[in-house]
Order: sequence, then C-alpha cells, then structure tokens
Amino acid sequence: MKKSTSVSLLVFFLLIPATLFLGTKLPGRSYYITSTLIILQMLLPFFLAFEGRKPQARELVVIAVMCGISIVSRVAIPIPHFKPTFAMIMLSGIAFGPEAGFMVGAVTAFGSNFFVGQGAYTPWQMMAYGAGGLLSGFLSQKGWLSRKPIYLAIFGFLSVLLWVGPLLDLCSLFLMPIGFSKKAIIAVFASGLPANLMQAGCTAAVMLLVSRPLLERLDRIKLKYGMLENHDKL
Amino acid sequence: MKDTFSSYHPAVNFLFFVGAVGCGVVFLHPAYLAVSILCGLSYYLFLGKTKSAKAFLLMLPVVLILAAVNPLFNTQGSTVLFWLFGKPYTLEALLYGGAVSGVLLTMLLWFGCYNYVLTGDKFTSLFGNWIPSVSLLLVMVLRMVPNLIQKTKQIAGARKSLGKGNEGKLKEGLAVVGALVSWALEGGVVTADSMRARGYGTAKRQSFLIYRMERRDWWLLAVEIILITAVIVSACLGQVNAEYTPEVSLAPVSWGAVFYGIYLLIPLALNGKEAILWHILRFKI
Repeated sequence: MKKSTSVSLLVFFLLIPATLFLGTKLPGRSYYITSTLIILQMLLPFFLAFEGRKPQARELVVIAVMCGISIVSRVAIPIPHFKPTFAMIMLSGIAFGPEAGFMVGAVTAFGSNFFVGQGAYTPWQMMAYGAGGLLSGFLSQKGWLSRKPIYLAIFGFLSVLLWVGPLLDLCSLFLMPIGFSKKAIIAVFASGLPANLMQAGCTAAVMLLVSRPLLERLDRIKLKYGMLENHDKL
Repeated sequence: MKDTFSSYHPAVNFLFFVGAVGCGVVFLHPAYLAVSILCGLSYYLFLGKTKSAKAFLLMLPVVLILAAVNPLFNTQGSTVLFWLFGKPYTLEALLYGGAVSGVLLTMLLWFGCYNYVLTGDKFTSLFGNWIPSVSLLLVMVLRMVPNLIQKTKQIAGARKSLGKGNEGKLKEGLAVVGALVSWALEGGVVTADSMRARGYGTAKRQSFLIYRMERRDWWLLAVEIILITAVIVSACLGQVNAEYTPEVSLAPVSWGAVFYGIYLLIPLALNGKEAILWHILRFKI
C-alpha cells in the first residue's frame, strides 16, 4: 500500500474519530478546536498524496500559475463578494483535473490570506475552495460537464450557491458563537445567502465570458508542451 | 520600534500563537477572557499602532452586535429583562453572548498579531522540510502575485500605446487577462524546464534556513511549554469552568489565570526588557 494511502486511512479511521471523542470529553466550547482540527485532518491526506506523488516541476509550476491568477483575482478586485476567484479555480480543475483543482483551490485560499489576513477560517476556506476545484475537475473528467460556456455558467452558479458557499457558511456556524439551535443554523445560512448569490452571479458571468478563451489557451499550452497527461514524462 | 518577539525563531513564535489562540477560543471564564483580550489588544496596538487601532474600532461593533443578538436565539436564562416578539430576552443569555463575543474578539486580536509576526517566509521556512512540494508551491505563488499585478499593468500599457482598447472595457479586460494567462503559463513552463535542468526532483531538497534555534530560543520555548502546561492543568482542574445559562455560576479565579496572564504577556515583556536594557546601556554611556 502506498504511504499516502495508509496515512489517509489512518486519518479517517483513527485520527478523526479520536479527535471527535476527545472533543466531546473536553469541557466548555472546545468544538471550536475540534472542528478546526478535523478540517485540518481532512486536508492532510490531499496534501500528503500530493507530496507522495513527488510532483514534477511542470506540474508544480502550472498549479502555481493558476493559484497566482486566482489570488490576484481575489486580492486585486476591490468589490467584496464579487470575485472571479471561484471561476478561476473551477476552470483550473476542468483543465487540469480534480487533484490539480483541489490544490489550486486550497493553496489559493491559504496564499491569498497572506494578503488579506489569516484567521481561524483559513482551514475552512482551504477546504471549501479546494472542494470547488475538486468537484468541477471530477465532473469534467467523467465527461458529465460540458465545456460550453452556458453550461459552465449554470454549473458555476449552482456550485457556488449550493456547494462552496454553504461550506464557507459552515465555518461561520462553527466559529461564530451562536450555538447550534435550528434557528441559529437557519440564521447563519440565510445571512450567507446574499453574499453567496452575488458570488454565484459573478462566477456565472465570468464563466460565460472567460471560460471559452481561457480553456482554449490552457488546452493550447497543454498540447504544446504535452503537459499533465502522463505523470512519468512530465 | 521593532518587535523583539518577532526576532525569535519561527517555531517559538508559532507555538506561542497556537497556545494563545487555542486557549483563547476555548476559555469562556470572564477573568481569562479579560486577560486574553487585554494582552492581545496591547500587543496588537504595539505591533500596528494606528492601523491596529482602526482595525480594532471596526471589530468592536461586530462583537457588540453579536453579543446583543445572542438572546434572540438563546432563550434560556432565569432573569428576563424584557419580552421581544413574544420571546424572553434574558440577562444570562446576554452575558453568555458577551462571553462568546469576547472569544471572537480574542481570536481576531491574536490572529491580527499572528499576521504581523509570522510572515509567509517564516511559515514556509518552518514547514519547508515536512511538506517540501507544498511549501515550494507556496513560495512560488507568493512571489507570483506581485509579479502578475505588475505584468497586468505592463500589458494594459502596451495595448494602450498600440492604440488598442477602445472597444469597451469588458473586451479590453478579457484581452489583458488572456494575454496574462498565456504569458504566465509559458513563462512557467520555461521555469519548470530550467528547474529540471538544474536537477529538481533528483535528490532530497535542501532548504535555505535563515533561522536557527539559539540559546534564548530554547529558553523561551521551555518557558512557553511550562506556562501553557500549567494553564492546561488548571483548566483540567476546572478553574476555567463557567456556566451562563440557566444561571450564572463561575469558578473562583485562581493561580491558573495568573499563569495564563504571564504566558500571554511574553511578547510584550520581551519588548519591555529590551527597552529597559537599552535605557540602562545608554545611561552607562
């Protein structure tokens, strides 16, 4: 068994249950720490798999470039909740596969927080952004996601509204001190809805306008240099 | 004035913040909260001066609103202040809201300090050996961001001087983004080939370490570990227990809070020590 696989199994079947168990034993509001630890532990297998694969220079650099562009689109555009970042992450996933999509998402969240400020929300953002890239990459790899801009726009809108956005709201639910009553949960998701809608709209607009030229360019680069097709020859 | 604590080894800094944020997030006892908020605020103001003061004034309303909102969701508590929408608004729930907003405030303050002390280069040097590929990725990305912003300006300028860009902002923006992506990826491939030619991936990566554990770092590390252990022991003994609803019951303040205060004062104390030493040395001249 590969080292990264065994570590993943260890994390999911031992570390996370142990954390959950200890979390229930600790006094007070330790679920702050428990939840953040679990998110970190869930990120761990992805990063270890990436390390274990010993990524080649080209793969690293391409992921770095996509991260750089996503971060710039988050940091340089001054309108809050209206950033092309998610669209960029999803397009990376579509062009380079689910693993690359996850890495681009997670590193974008972490890296951009060096510019806008790290916080307890950083692991949650890494998870949510990464999940966005993972989903688009997975669906595209399976051939379930058409590359026509209009379908990509619909996909972008829905996935931000129903997948990435709620994952980010989950963070406020766990880190904001209002408890877990049914009302509090509804309140958190309802208060996140306008921001998610704006973000979803922005993602759809970017997908509609940019997806075709951008994917063409990414494909051209892939074709020109024969990248990310087989991992041995990179 | 330069921060003395930042000049210590990143591992020492990182451990301090793990302790400060970890405890700050869990402890709901008002004494512990007050200690953490006071220490965090003074260190934050020391690090950022007016910038921190402005940020703190922005945090305050959020925290206060959150405290006031809590009784709307949480109707437990025995002392009813007034009725709102047919629901009781209780004193205990308000106090509880205040305590948990305090937790949020400590988190914001300590993470504010973290952002000043543990910069990107320190983080990568700290974790570079454990996750070499990911930290290399991070270094490349952090370098790329200012680079890309600069290149965007260059592309836009070049297009302008060619007489292009009169067909509307949207089209122009798309052209610039497209050129930027192509340039960055092609440049990236050249970088990658150059890395390969120099033997990337053929051996274990060494990292350039600018930080070394000196004697003072080991000492501070030991002090941190002793203090945080004492705080955790006191927490396990129930000294931080605080119940707010349905009735307020607090554990009496004991030695745990003192250790907690000393721990959180470490960065400021180091700065104070430095300032005093400096004065003495100057006095001798």
